[in-house]
Amino acid sequence: MSVVYSSPFVPPEWVAAHGARPKRIRPDPGAAARATAPVAGMCPYARALTGEVQALHDGEVAVFTTTCDQMRRAAEWAALESPAPVFLMNVPATHGAPSAVRLYRDELHRLGRFLARRGASQPSPEKLADVMESYDERRRELRDALGLVATREASEAIAEFDLAGRLHAALARRSLPRGIPVAVVGGPLMRGDARVFDWIEEAGGSVVLDATESGTRTLPAPFDRRRLHDDPILELVDAYFGRLPDVFRRPDEALYAWLHRELASSGARAVVLWRYVWCDLWAASVARLRELADLPVLDLDVSGDAGSDRRTANRIQGFLEVLR
Amino acid sequence: MNRSPERISMEELDLLCERRRTSGASIPAYVGPLRRHVEEGDTRLLRLQYDASPAALRLWSFLLTEEDRLHEARAAGAKIVGTMKDLGTVPVMAYALPNVVAFYPDGAWWTPCLMELSDGLFRIAQLFGFGEAFCPVRAMLGAFVNRAHFPIPDLLVCSAGAVCDDFSAIAQCVESLGHPILWWEMPHRRRPEPDEPAVELPGGFSAPASQVALVRSELERVRSALEALAGSPLGDAELAAAIAEANRVRRLLAELRRLAYTADPCPMPALEMLIAEMLAIHFCSDRAESIRVLADLLEEVRRRVKENRGVLAQDAARVFWVNPVADLRVMNLLEDCGGRLAGTEFLFSHALDLIPEDLPPMEALARMALADPMAGPSADRAARIERDARAFGAEAVLVSRIPGASHCALEGAVIARVVREELAIPVVEIEVPPVADAMMPTLRSQLEALVETVLERRKR
Repeated sequence: MSVVYSSPFVPPEWVAAHGARPKRIRPDPGAAARATAPVAGMCPYARALTGEVQALHDGEVAVFTTTCDQMRRAAEWAALESPAPVFLMNVPATHGAPSAVRLYRDELHRLGRFLARRGASQPSPEKLADVMESYDERRRELRDALGLVATREASEAIAEFDLAGRLHAALARRSLPRGIPVAVVGGPLMRGDARVFDWIEEAGGSVVLDATESGTRTLPAPFDRRRLHDDPILELVDAYFGRLPDVFRRPDEALYAWLHRELASSGARAVVLWRYVWCDLWAASVARLRELADLPVLDLDVSGDAGSDRRTANRIQGFLEVLR
Repeated sequence: MNRSPERISMEELDLLCERRRTSGASIPAYVGPLRRHVEEGDTRLLRLQYDASPAALRLWSFLLTEEDRLHEARAAGAKIVGTMKDLGTVPVMAYALPNVVAFYPDGAWWTPCLMELSDGLFRIAQLFGFGEAFCPVRAMLGAFVNRAHFPIPDLLVCSAGAVCDDFSAIAQCVESLGHPILWWEMPHRRRPEPDEPAVELPGGFSAPASQVALVRSELERVRSALEALAGSPLGDAELAAAIAEANRVRRLLAELRRLAYTADPCPMPALEMLIAEMLAIHFCSDRAESIRVLADLLEEVRRRVKENRGVLAQDAARVFWVNPVADLRVMNLLEDCGGRLAGTEFLFSHALDLIPEDLPPMEALARMALADPMAGPSADRAARIERDARAFGAEAVLVSRIPGASHCALEGAVIARVVREELAIPVVEIEVPPVADAMMPTLRSQLEALVETVLERRKR
């Protein structure tokens, strides 16, 4: 059984430990065309994911998360329209209170029962710990590789890891472009969207930080080996729910603390904000990002249709020209 | 002193006010001509039509003097709680404490309408990145910044999780400007799984017992914060008494809605019903007076029903209205086009349903909070709308989209689908900006077409 999802708050270790195949996808923007959901007012990413889920086959299930209003409602639409079972995982917005941690952990168990009802096996703690160790090792290799390659290759390597759980081939080390250091911050990328990094480099920039939802920001930190064996679920909850910074969290200070730190250490001189039209959470962050980073910010409202690519590339070019 | 039931202009309502004053009738101190609010900038009042009754005059005066009441409470040493997003739960708790007043800063979303954009709240919100792509509730941010409307609360409480993204983002911005917020988790309400302990919620939804327990524990955090603010304990006995008082409001509204939405001819206009329903969520900052205001209104409606008199022509097209409108004038427009309300769902049906009084108070409040139509699947909300529309005998459903709201696109589609399938009655979606003058011809056409469709269907 394959479990298709896009949220970084779904731990692949948990799915794999149940004997299912985790597939964190970047939805194809073209899939939006087959989504029956309304166009106006709907986030293009949520729409594309809905389209992907509508096309799933036997043996596949989909997992959405409640991390934004659009996605939780998209899950409902997908459940109405898709032949595949859809699971909506409640990821609390608040954090710090024990009740939020408990809710996330309980939701993992509920996901486990959902998978078990469809033929998956409930893992023992030992099995879960083994799977987590294995992922941790492969993720370490991924992290090592990411430091050696350009951002587009790094982004695609993460996408491949998310989809397959490993890297198929060693990444070719290449000289990193030298240009105006730029950080890309924002929501998730769709399939093919990594070309935004090319556009930035072609315009004289050099991407020094991928802080999109699809980038290193949502890679969980290495597990604590001792805690992993003592209580693997607790460690899993901490690594994902406890530590991943995101824009939907309330309060959202962890995201801005992370950005503050990473922007400084990356040496970024400008920020490109990647957000989808109708995404209120990232749209609301523009002003705060400008204030926090004290850097020029290009607010890219992405509609997901191929026709807008030229406009996006032109805006990036214009932005970097001003910075030269 | 009552005129025949009809809809009148603001000037005529002010004349009625003047006549009541000179006649020596006993009227509360806050009741007065609406002209005074126009002079303070609420110019939209000039373009609305009102019910011609002392009860409606009292209702409007009560609504429009709320900010004065809050400032007076602050001056008198009361603690002020700004409760955000949950629409109906936290105020029940806050009013259980002596010397605590709770209100929704969210209510500022009507200020740009009332002041016909002269308030500048949207301009301020725009400075912080909240432009037209966001719901009109962004006016709240402007009000926090310019401090020209409500007093800055002593405690801010906001639900997070299964809420609108735009509201959550705006509230987060409020916090980043130096107004600390106690965030509490509202989980996405889901249907219980097989063999999972379930609980029935007010209004008929059901939810897993574990979700109710979670909300209860979150509300306990709110209780602690309220106790710290008030400097006095908030015991179950006080909460139980507060629930009983809230239920007095809800019972009055239930009867008012039953009569106003079923009697023919229609005994109370749509606009006054919208305002009356709004009193349920935080009692317009005075719980005791909100009960008197609603009792007055109910008495007026009962009298009209008994005398078989109404404000609209008999047999007006019966329309169930979904979502509050950003421009109040559109409620008048429905009636101008030959329609009338036959039920509503203004996003806070959980604030209208009775809170269980036979349960421990925090359990009862948790169940009520979780019944929020916005917290659950759109299909649940649609089912409730379908049920209520059937009960009120609605002949059409109108979904009024809120511009920029993150939930409206998909939610409206689900509601329309369920209503069409289950009730087989017409559904129309409209979008209403805070000042809809430029769109009035379009909106009028949409509403007239809906009314015509209803009337045509009667001939079949």
